[in-house]
Amino acid sequence: MVAATILLATPVKVVVADKPKGDAVTFKDHVKPILRQYCLKCHGNDEQNADLNLQTYQTLLKGGSGGAVVKPGRPEASVLFQAITATDDAARMPPKSPPIPRKHVQVIRRWIATGLRETSVSKSLSPASTITFNPSANAAKKPSGPPAMPVGLSVIKRPATSRRLPVLAMAASPWAPLLAVSAYQHVRLFDITTRKEIGSLPFPEGVPYMLRFSRNGGVLLVAGGKPVQVGSVVLFDVRTGKRLAQLGDELDAVMAADISPDQRLVALGGSGRTVKVYSTADARLRYKLTRHTDWITSLAFSPDGKQLASGDRAGGLHLWDAGKGGLLFSLASHQASVRTISWRSDSKVLASGGEDGRLIWWNTESGFSSISNSNPHPPQRPSGVYGKLPNGVLAARFGSDGSLFTCGRDSHARFWNVSGKQLRTFKVEAAIPTQVAISHDGKTLVAGDSTGHVHFWTRAK
Amino acid sequence: MVRRAILLLLLATVQGQAADGLSFRRDVMPILFRAGCNQGTCHGSSRGKDGFSLSLFGYNPKGDYFRLTREIIGRRVNVAAPEESLLLLKATGAVPHTGGARFSRDSEYYKTLVEWIRQGAPDDAGQVPEAVEITLSPTHLLFQGQAKPVQTTVMARYSDGTKRDVTSLALFYSNNPDTATIDKNGLVQAVGRGDGYVFARFSRFTIGSEVIVLPPAAGYKWSKPPVHNYIDTLVHDRLQKLQLLPSALADDDTFIRRVYLDLTGAPPNSEQYRRFAKDTHAKKRARLIDDLLRSPEFTDLSTGLWAESVRLMGGGYTPTATDLKAAEAYYQWIRKQISQNRPFDEFVYDQVTASGSNLRDGPTNLYTMLVHDVRFKPKAFAADFSQLFLGIQIQCAECHNHPFDRWTMDDYYGFVSFFTGITRKPGAEPREFYIFNKRRAAPSRHKVDGRPMVATVLGGEGPAAADLDSRVALARWLTSPQNGLFARNIANRLWARFFHRGLVEPVDDLRISNPPTNGPLLEELARRFVKYGFDQRALIRDICNSRTYQLASKPNATNKLDDRQFSRARLRRLRADVLLDSIIKVTEWDRPFRNFPKGTRAVQFYPRTPGDTSQPLWFDDFLKTFGRSSRNSICSCETRGEPTLSQTLHMVVGKNITNAINAGLVTRLLERGDGPRALIEELFIRCLSRKPTAEEMAAMLELVAEDVKEKAPYEDILWSLLNSTEFSFNH
Repeated sequence: MVAATILLATPVKVVVADKPKGDAVTFKDHVKPILRQYCLKCHGNDEQNADLNLQTYQTLLKGGSGGAVVKPGRPEASVLFQAITATDDAARMPPKSPPIPRKHVQVIRRWIATGLRETSVSKSLSPASTITFNPSANAAKKPSGPPAMPVGLSVIKRPATSRRLPVLAMAASPWAPLLAVSAYQHVRLFDITTRKEIGSLPFPEGVPYMLRFSRNGGVLLVAGGKPVQVGSVVLFDVRTGKRLAQLGDELDAVMAADISPDQRLVALGGSGRTVKVYSTADARLRYKLTRHTDWITSLAFSPDGKQLASGDRAGGLHLWDAGKGGLLFSLASHQASVRTISWRSDSKVLASGGEDGRLIWWNTESGFSSISNSNPHPPQRPSGVYGKLPNGVLAARFGSDGSLFTCGRDSHARFWNVSGKQLRTFKVEAAIPTQVAISHDGKTLVAGDSTGHVHFWTRAK
Repeated sequence: MVRRAILLLLLATVQGQAADGLSFRRDVMPILFRAGCNQGTCHGSSRGKDGFSLSLFGYNPKGDYFRLTREIIGRRVNVAAPEESLLLLKATGAVPHTGGARFSRDSEYYKTLVEWIRQGAPDDAGQVPEAVEITLSPTHLLFQGQAKPVQTTVMARYSDGTKRDVTSLALFYSNNPDTATIDKNGLVQAVGRGDGYVFARFSRFTIGSEVIVLPPAAGYKWSKPPVHNYIDTLVHDRLQKLQLLPSALADDDTFIRRVYLDLTGAPPNSEQYRRFAKDTHAKKRARLIDDLLRSPEFTDLSTGLWAESVRLMGGGYTPTATDLKAAEAYYQWIRKQISQNRPFDEFVYDQVTASGSNLRDGPTNLYTMLVHDVRFKPKAFAADFSQLFLGIQIQCAECHNHPFDRWTMDDYYGFVSFFTGITRKPGAEPREFYIFNKRRAAPSRHKVDGRPMVATVLGGEGPAAADLDSRVALARWLTSPQNGLFARNIANRLWARFFHRGLVEPVDDLRISNPPTNGPLLEELARRFVKYGFDQRALIRDICNSRTYQLASKPNATNKLDDRQFSRARLRRLRADVLLDSIIKVTEWDRPFRNFPKGTRAVQFYPRTPGDTSQPLWFDDFLKTFGRSSRNSICSCETRGEPTLSQTLHMVVGKNITNAINAGLVTRLLERGDGPRALIEELFIRCLSRKPTAEEMAAMLELVAEDVKEKAPYEDILWSLLNSTEFSFNH
């Protein structure tokens, strides 16, 4: 006992094998040493607080009095991971101690995400990151059967919030009257025809910052996370609400993402300034784009799948070869953060809007702008107020007929025809419209605002 | 569902009641300030930090509100889940943060921020009362030895008349941590003997409390030294408070050397020395001071000092409008005013309101010399103008409210507007420009919101009268007897000229957070200056006649460490030009000055270049080496007094010293045939304004005993005297 005490009192250096490669994080080689240092005193063979014993792989999987502590492939949903990453000092493990160093937390996160391997020869238990996601045939085209609408989604318990989260992301299905709207730790689904909420998808990973339907409307991409903590992309089956895959393991919330029309690629980016493009089939990184000098704020694959557009917070906007990641054009015109980009359905025009107040229609074959509107969202100047007023363009979406719907800091949503002429304006009272969408049939215009409300308008006069 | 709705309704009511309390400007902004978020090294930097920027010390709440809640909606402030706002995660160190943890989750700061976000992070522009004044109590702290620490309290008064204890939201610092320290909660702890100030900052205000720390041992007894005038009374008050004793009165030799150097810019010659030594009149010191104040040398020195402070230089580069002829017109005008003892308020008034040709109307060159540039720059000029005439540095307020003084961006831009109409119109010949103020020129615009700012004097309530040249209103305000800023600044600069330390130091940085070391004395000097009708000779007469000015530099047991209270004379290296003039006067050397006529003194010399004047210029190696102002900026720090190796080498082997010694003085003295004793005594009197001691005389005689007619040993003695610190210092 005396010897044991001495051993405990001596600082133990945790030897973790070099940066885990690929899926090679294992309980035996990587996780156990970390648990030994931080957890086993209270949750080991000697003492089992909450009936939890983390000493062996088998007892760990068994869990404690509260049930299982790890869910394969789902770190954010695993009690073990939640306990060591809680931001509340009182709730975090180990108790009354500084948080476990970030690099160790990342090892555990990876281990759970990659399927709880016991040793390097064990099989992954994770259902998500393996080859379970199969892009549907004719993914880029109109589905042959009836377009995807959710059916019988299970009712989820929505997290209690003090107020509604601003609408940070929104998307309309290209083929069905279906609208997805971001909310705190879940996604709200609306039937555009009835304008009623018809269900929701849980997103315990945090806040969804980006929502995109696949080209055929069958898959919903939800990207987001928790600021300066974790970020990832989750693909949902629109019909069933099932999780198809989870991609990315970011240190900050994912702010921009898109899925390619053939559903084979997912591009994501955020404060890391790097665009990462993953293969959906095997969750492997296909290529990285490192040209951006600031946060990635927007990403979009062209409808024909050939190009990828990416915008950043410094105003940088680039067009890439979607297959290999080669640079095609740098569309240098924005003087401040690019806030939104949208492709026209024929892939020939890209619209971009930014905090500099500009809205630009780019010819993606020449790399030059074909229409440039320097102040499409002019704010009203109150009397006695001088200087520059915020006039940023926050969101822009093309309809299938080439018309464009935008919103900005002037508290208006505006509708433009193919040649960039403004047709209609809509005022949003007492809030800033943050996101826009056009229904699949082009008849309904939708905007979400900074107080979390969703506004529906009929396009025709 | 209905139940849920009712519950939400009830919750909303409860929150609605609590919501009355919290405001962005009144409650949130002070926390960003106190936690250090908006300081210059962090998010207050002009480029922000790590992608997030705040206004420095919170001068722009509207912009800060936008960046916190609107710039990236939902990230920094998350109204759905307040605890997950990045603002809070970063500030508590729950996620990686370059600035580390600023406060804990159980602090009041955290609770306030969470509650504000829970209430929807509301804005409150134009709805909340502003802080209009802060007070720090106690206003005076006296410690005897290692006494118990004392807690201070900061109270803020708001525009609606309410008061609030803001001790937990203020920042504290001490300007003399060797005397007393103050911790982040406002607790003052004595450290060592001396005096200083502790300051509290809140909103845009800074306020100080004086701290005096006395030695633990009693036994101090005031020596009751005589008092010559009010200056001594006020200095003695201060010394008694700090338990210091003044040094003894300086002897006549020290006094004559000091007063000659300070008033005329060179030591007395042997005739002047002997006349004073023989004088037995009881008031011989006062009579000498009066004589010197009337001398042309005093006028030369005073003219040179003013010319230096307005950056007077002559150049041949036409666009800067500082032609040689313009510089000479300005110089001669200044000399004439000083020679006629023109009241200082009129002297300044004429320069401020001057219009006309730069070549013929000397004072117009205030507008060409203060800022040397091809175009007139209102902002740079306003900053330099304020620094020179008011001793106030307002340039901080160009980009943010002054962090350590009362000046805001409103004050700055309002002041700049006095000069936005200043025009230089090309005259009859290329070198000539007509300088005038265009009426109804567009005023400057506020940097934050682009508001046009009508010309307003510093600290003024409303705009200046619009029917006149706006500079007339400015000059009237500036030189008005009611404007304490002006009289205090000039009095402080005059004091610094004779004590080589201002009552406020540096002399061009008067601010709340840099209080005078003897406030009542500065007030009295300013009051007398106004009473004398801004007669600078009268004020100088008071200063030189005070016993304080005439103290010896030798310290006693109590004042050894005193460097701020004038309990003894300060040793000070001579200014570069005075040192050179001293060498010239001692050796009777006819030294030429570049581009100036024969017989010019160093204090009369100013740079004259064939080219551009908007760069550091000395035009004399000696003056450069010994730290004369290069006139590159308005800052008093351009004049340097610190020793360097090249100064030593210059004095030891430099051509100035060699030429001065070879100028023939020793030969002429030898021709008198008075003998070695008289000759050595003459050299001592010339260089050091005293006779050699018996020891010195014996040592010197040993050197020259061999051959009376040989001049080399005498030149060696002269060289040694010029190289002594006693020569190059005023003591």
